[in-house]
Amino acid sequence: MTTDENRNGRTVDVLIIGAGASGGAAAWRLAKDGFDVVILEQGSWLRPEDYPTTGNDWELKARTSWNIDPNVRGLPEDYPVNDSESDVTPLMFNAVGGSTIHWTAHTPRFHPSDFRVKSLDGVADDWPLTYEELEPWYDLNDRMMGCAGIIGDPANPPRSERPMPPLPIGPDGEAVARAFDALGWHWWPSDSYINSTRYDGRDACNNCGPNTYGCVVRAKASTDVTYLPKAQEMGVEIRTDSRVTEITTGSDGRVTGANYIDSNGKRVHQAARSVIMAANGVGTPRLLLLSKSDRHPDGLANSSGLVGKNLMFHPYSIVTGFLPEMTQNFKGPLGNMILSQEFYETDPRRDFVRGYTYQIVRSSGPGLTALGLFAPPVSWGESHHEEFASRFGKGVSLAVISEDLPELHNRVTLDESLTDSDGIPAPRVEYKTSSNTRKMLDHGIRNGVKVLEQANATGIAVTQLLKACGWHLMGTAKMGDDPSASVVDRWGTAHDADNLFIVDGSVFVTAGAVNPTPTIQALALRTAEFICESRGDLKG
Amino acid sequence: MAQDLKISDADRVTLSEAMDRLIPAVDDLPAAGQMGLGPEVERLAHEAPHYGDALESVLDALSMDPLSRAAGGFRALSPDDRDNAIRTIEGNMPGKFGTFLEIVYLAYYSLPAVHRRIGWVSRPPQPEGFDMPPFDESVLETVRKREPFWRKTGD
Repeated sequence: MTTDENRNGRTVDVLIIGAGASGGAAAWRLAKDGFDVVILEQGSWLRPEDYPTTGNDWELKARTSWNIDPNVRGLPEDYPVNDSESDVTPLMFNAVGGSTIHWTAHTPRFHPSDFRVKSLDGVADDWPLTYEELEPWYDLNDRMMGCAGIIGDPANPPRSERPMPPLPIGPDGEAVARAFDALGWHWWPSDSYINSTRYDGRDACNNCGPNTYGCVVRAKASTDVTYLPKAQEMGVEIRTDSRVTEITTGSDGRVTGANYIDSNGKRVHQAARSVIMAANGVGTPRLLLLSKSDRHPDGLANSSGLVGKNLMFHPYSIVTGFLPEMTQNFKGPLGNMILSQEFYETDPRRDFVRGYTYQIVRSSGPGLTALGLFAPPVSWGESHHEEFASRFGKGVSLAVISEDLPELHNRVTLDESLTDSDGIPAPRVEYKTSSNTRKMLDHGIRNGVKVLEQANATGIAVTQLLKACGWHLMGTAKMGDDPSASVVDRWGTAHDADNLFIVDGSVFVTAGAVNPTPTIQALALRTAEFICESRGDLKG
Repeated sequence: MAQDLKISDADRVTLSEAMDRLIPAVDDLPAAGQMGLGPEVERLAHEAPHYGDALESVLDALSMDPLSRAAGGFRALSPDDRDNAIRTIEGNMPGKFGTFLEIVYLAYYSLPAVHRRIGWVSRPPQPEGFDMPPFDESVLETVRKREPFWRKTGD
């Protein structure tokens, strides 16, 4: 591509690729210290007032233009993903706020053991940092995003007072909690980045239910309503509808900025003293692999050969049942009731290492209930109405979020024929669920059935492996101290270019068994702090 | 997303009658086809390419079904044979049939009359939302008694 125009002739201090969870957090921290920051985002600003849940056709949109799968949405700002060789479909959203527009905002933390899997269990690698080192950034992120929860969870280390009390868990949550209690198993109200009270100028959650299609009242913390407006107030510029095609480098191998297609379809270059990749575990390796040069012939920052490899997802199994005494458990945030980490840590008596979390999920509206949500669709024919009545407002699901250990053959590459709407090669994903993960999921299914039976649920249905469960995209630009065995160092600096940083899920060494966004954002804040404290050379 | 669909008037009659078998009458509500849902299903089929493809494929299959052809059309079949014809298509093309069923269900469960019957609020979830009682800390009584069991690392 020929790109000869440097946007405004300006060289910015930091160019961030992606205005999602990590890009927003990093931009805010850098702007506090006066860095000149520009963010390039291929999506646009969305108005919460326009989210589908304000319309009667919200369930239709949930299945079409707001589908969690970019291959189904097929919007121009999305890029397609060839997932034909993957057990799991990668899910993502392209807009200011990124996938935090779509997420459940269920925000548990990694456990200390997640950073030490090699030392403790002899698998994968240890992280080059500890839980204790990351804890201050978890705390800061909890305050910035707004965390509802309660301290005292025996499955986790003590943590700071939560900024808000827990969200209501509802009669459905209480019923499942009683079942866990009866079995002697752990449960706890989920930490959630959803306001249970008015917080930081944003309203409390009004329990609408399907907040995974955007939160109209801004109670759910997506970065378009948390970090990014504050970053803009401090001078950060967000360029929307701007699709990056390449990270550019100089003859010394250091990055010089990025080529992108702007909102007018014009190909331009933005010069920068440094670049932060914040496009997450599929988007970031895609761009690095697209950024080949004489100094980086296999893609930028890829001297280790690990860019795109070690892809981790968190494969999900789902156990769903219907609580007889329930009538309206579509009330309340879809994925924010309680969790259980009874089986989180390695137990040598089991036939797998590491463990899993149960995230308990509510039911939804009538159309999605008929379609099954996490169960088979309601039968058609004479039994239809009776079966629908046995489900509507009564469904509860135990999502088994399993640890996913890194494997080189699980990877992101560039597809040879599939392209996005601008003709740029799309990512191809190859992923196979490991034997260890499968054993873990089977264990989770067996015990999940016990929980729902204890709760007197009926119609229990099992999804062995949810195909469309690739919410968590991790591991494709691994962090580590050894440049031959990792892509970035402990601060997120690329081993191959000291002014290139990666702050998204790509840098994960292992996946833990929890939703990763608080960890992603804590790492992004930590890297930004490092730049502020130690990389004054990047400030013009 | 709009696309041209090849649906004839005869297809529309078949669609209505097939929907009657998918979602029969209940209480004071007629079956789905008799509720006049056909045009809405056609409208939804324009919302996504795979919807349109599924609708056309299922209607084609219904018209080509051997039982239907022998009897002079889907509408000439007995109710049981209509169900058999639908089941045959469901077995032969499960993906497309599932998508077709999705369109029919989404159309049916968007009707205010259906909402009234099943107890749904018949309004979008937002901006009103729903009331819920606040979190009651007493539910933690049992689990709070448990000793911490997270794994120490020695860090």
